[in-house]
Amino acid sequence: MKYELLTIVELHNLYVSKKVTPLDVVEYLIELIKKDKHNFMEANMFEEAIKLAKNIGEVDKDNLLWGIPFLIKDNIATKEVITSASSKILSNYISPFDATMIKKLKAIKAIPLGKTTMDEFAMGGKGTTSHNGFTYNPLDKTKTKMMGGSSSGSAAAVTVPVVPFALASDTGDSIRKPASYGGIVGFKPSWGRISRYGLFSFAPSMDHAGYFTRSVFDAALLLEALAGYDENDPTSSTHVVDKYSKNTANSTSNYQIAVIKGIFDNILDEKLKSLFSKSIEELKILGHKVEFVEMPITLLRAIFPTYFVISCAEASSNTACYDGVNFGVRLEGNTYEEIVTKTRSELFSAQIKKRILYGAYALSKDNKDETYLRAQRSRRKIVEFINKLFEKYDFIYLPAAPSVAPKFNEYNNDDNFAIADNHLAIANFGGYPSITIPLGKINGLPVGVNFTGRPFEESIVLNIAYQLEQILEKKGA
Amino acid sequence: MNFEAIIGLEIHVELKTKTKMFSRTPIDFKAEPNTLVTPIDLALPGTLPLVNKEAVIFAIRVSNALHMKIDKLIRFDRKNYFYSDLPKGYQITQDRFPIGSEGYIDLEVEGTIKRVRIQRLHLEEDTAKQIHLGDETLIDYNRAGIPLIEIVTHPDLRSGKEAAVYIEKIRQIVTFSDVSDGKMEEGSLRCDVNISLRPYGASSFGEKVEIKNLNSISNVERAINLEIKRQEKILLKGEKVIAETRRYDDSIKDTVSMRSKDETVDYKYFPETNILPIKLSGAFVNEVISNCPELADKKRKRYIKEYSLSDYDADILLLDKYNAAYFDEAAKFTSFYKTLSNWVTVEIATYLNSEQICISDFPIEPKRIALLVNLIESGDVSNKQARDIFTIMLKSTDEPLNIAKTHNLMQISDENVILETIRIVLNENKGAIEDYRAGKDRAFGFLIGKIMGKSRGKFNPTLTSKLLKREIDKNE
Repeated sequence: MKYELLTIVELHNLYVSKKVTPLDVVEYLIELIKKDKHNFMEANMFEEAIKLAKNIGEVDKDNLLWGIPFLIKDNIATKEVITSASSKILSNYISPFDATMIKKLKAIKAIPLGKTTMDEFAMGGKGTTSHNGFTYNPLDKTKTKMMGGSSSGSAAAVTVPVVPFALASDTGDSIRKPASYGGIVGFKPSWGRISRYGLFSFAPSMDHAGYFTRSVFDAALLLEALAGYDENDPTSSTHVVDKYSKNTANSTSNYQIAVIKGIFDNILDEKLKSLFSKSIEELKILGHKVEFVEMPITLLRAIFPTYFVISCAEASSNTACYDGVNFGVRLEGNTYEEIVTKTRSELFSAQIKKRILYGAYALSKDNKDETYLRAQRSRRKIVEFINKLFEKYDFIYLPAAPSVAPKFNEYNNDDNFAIADNHLAIANFGGYPSITIPLGKINGLPVGVNFTGRPFEESIVLNIAYQLEQILEKKGA
Repeated sequence: MNFEAIIGLEIHVELKTKTKMFSRTPIDFKAEPNTLVTPIDLALPGTLPLVNKEAVIFAIRVSNALHMKIDKLIRFDRKNYFYSDLPKGYQITQDRFPIGSEGYIDLEVEGTIKRVRIQRLHLEEDTAKQIHLGDETLIDYNRAGIPLIEIVTHPDLRSGKEAAVYIEKIRQIVTFSDVSDGKMEEGSLRCDVNISLRPYGASSFGEKVEIKNLNSISNVERAINLEIKRQEKILLKGEKVIAETRRYDDSIKDTVSMRSKDETVDYKYFPETNILPIKLSGAFVNEVISNCPELADKKRKRYIKEYSLSDYDADILLLDKYNAAYFDEAAKFTSFYKTLSNWVTVEIATYLNSEQICISDFPIEPKRIALLVNLIESGDVSNKQARDIFTIMLKSTDEPLNIAKTHNLMQISDENVILETIRIVLNENKGAIEDYRAGKDRAFGFLIGKIMGKSRGKFNPTLTSKLLKREIDKNE
């Protein structure tokens, strides 16, 4: 049986029926992972996984994550193996603690199989800056198309597929864009919904923990397991953890849905536009109201620069701890200055150094007002506008990306100001729950759509995504 | 030309909270190096700062003592720079919104009251401690993340003396409010000085020089006086003072240049978004203030007004918070405050001095000293007997009254017993009575001597003298 094709729920039902054991599944998936041709793996946890699977005991009918194998983006701390954030500077670093997400999943007996490749320190959108090289989109046999980043390895692993879910992080669109390129579900709940303890900070005001799954229902299940206040993350919320899986599978109608016209108009791919328009009709048939709304072009144009300035500024500070002094790789020198200069100059990739320099520039006394503070003002304006929208509408609905997965040489992410390619960062500005689900295929490659909702209203965001998913699957089948 | 020195101070106070500023790591200054270190203190990736509530409470106490406006929304910022003692590559501090702002403190300098305005008080974290051994540097992360408050004055000070009084006052506040050990020598109170000169009457400021590495109040005073002279000389030569940072070198007792101001680091401050703004309720702030241990100024007023102690006695008691605490505890068990104060500041102080120990290690509890004072005041023991009892009490846990009884160190105050002896002595010394009546005062002393001799010094002298006088007058 092809276990890799099963969702969390399907695997669980197999376990409960005692047709297979977690050990069978884990051993089978390990063999698949070993054949990885798309460069999605960092350190593996195979031995540990087999041990866990062997000693897992009796199946727990009520715990749907019991014995479920998964992978972990390499910027999430694990005790057993190296967590490198796909950077040379941390290529020897083993965290003394597990991230809260890992601790929670281990406690309910989900089984980690290893770590996944990413853009170095999660800075990048293409999956090309890992110390191991490019991550390839498994759906493209020519190996010329990107998986997208920064959660490239986790996205690829669920796309291949080799696991039913993989943990990841999202600071601009690092889960929700690759999900679109992989035809999978990518979800980042509200800022503070899942503890960030153990997630390496890139730009903390926008960093979110999240994951990839192959169904919206699985995404809801996982949220139940991962959400909640964590005393090790004071920014985690005490907001009540809903019965997300129960709330997801209902047929509430009459949601108010906004499509931001300026973003939709920015999409040039006519096939995508038509697929998207058809999905709007489906939503209307389900009893929802969908309206095109205007958003000032100045705000739309500001999204990417705002994201870039703030994320680089915060990143320049958050990467300062990588100095080779008390952890990570150190290149020796005679003085502290020599050690730091050598270590950081030689071990950070050009992409990281560029962003750190840009961030330092944006924060420096002479430029702060025109760059960092200006970006903060623009972030506030965008959030104020979106909050206003949310007074009337329950969701913003948009294509998650302007096209199918592009070729590696097709564009340079950093200099791409295209509105349709960067709008997902809105959800990072406001800490909104945001989910990408598959919309359909264009020339055999997937495209995704995205729902973004009000903070801590994961239940209805998951619900609308679930409703559309069910319809699209039915139509597709 | 005469110059006026314009001086501002920045004081860092290490708080004696149970745990660090942004982690749950315990603090113990006596611990072995690098034994009190957790992932947060090392800035390991994935860790997040957890704000220490006790540190916030301590900052409120000091802000209140300095008459500052307290910001009820606690916010933090990052100060970015690279240094080997700074694990994160940034320090979490309060740049935009210090917890305390715009306060003042009144100093008594050479008999006049001088008001110094305090610009700000903010919370931040300490760096790791560096130990330089030859060409090696060792880093002790026990200190990394210990809470600090930084108190910044307006440039209101004018002399080394004023600066010294100011620091002493701050030291008194932080020790009496129980937020810090306030020991400059051990680094729990650190002071940086900003100083510039200008001609008297001028309204603009001269070039500012910062002096660092001052490890005692007397060094601050000395360094300021030296710096005033140095700048004066430069200005009198018609030259310009260079804006720079100087370091005080204790071995040569002088300041040396460290770096010029144009090498100043741009700290690239920005908000710490890993800490959400913390709202303090008015009730919380009021509770913190009302639960603050009594400050020295208030104690001083109480000692003088309620206990009728002299200014001098009050100041002696308040030299040290532990002294004052000892006195306060003892004062619960006696109302003879003046005698008690003498015992604390003379007898006990002498003992502590000879033994080289602190009053917190003094073997006699405050209550027993108070009871001894009561015995003296009631006439049950003489001062000399009290000193003997005190010596025994140092090695005993017994009550002073029991010691007095078992060691036969009580005065006799029984009027009948004393009168009996008086009558015997008067009978034996009729001539002396005549002499006394004839106006020879010495005769009275002679009689007292005889009486006390017969009692082997145990009669209560005041009572004996009163009874003798009455007896002679009665027989007139």
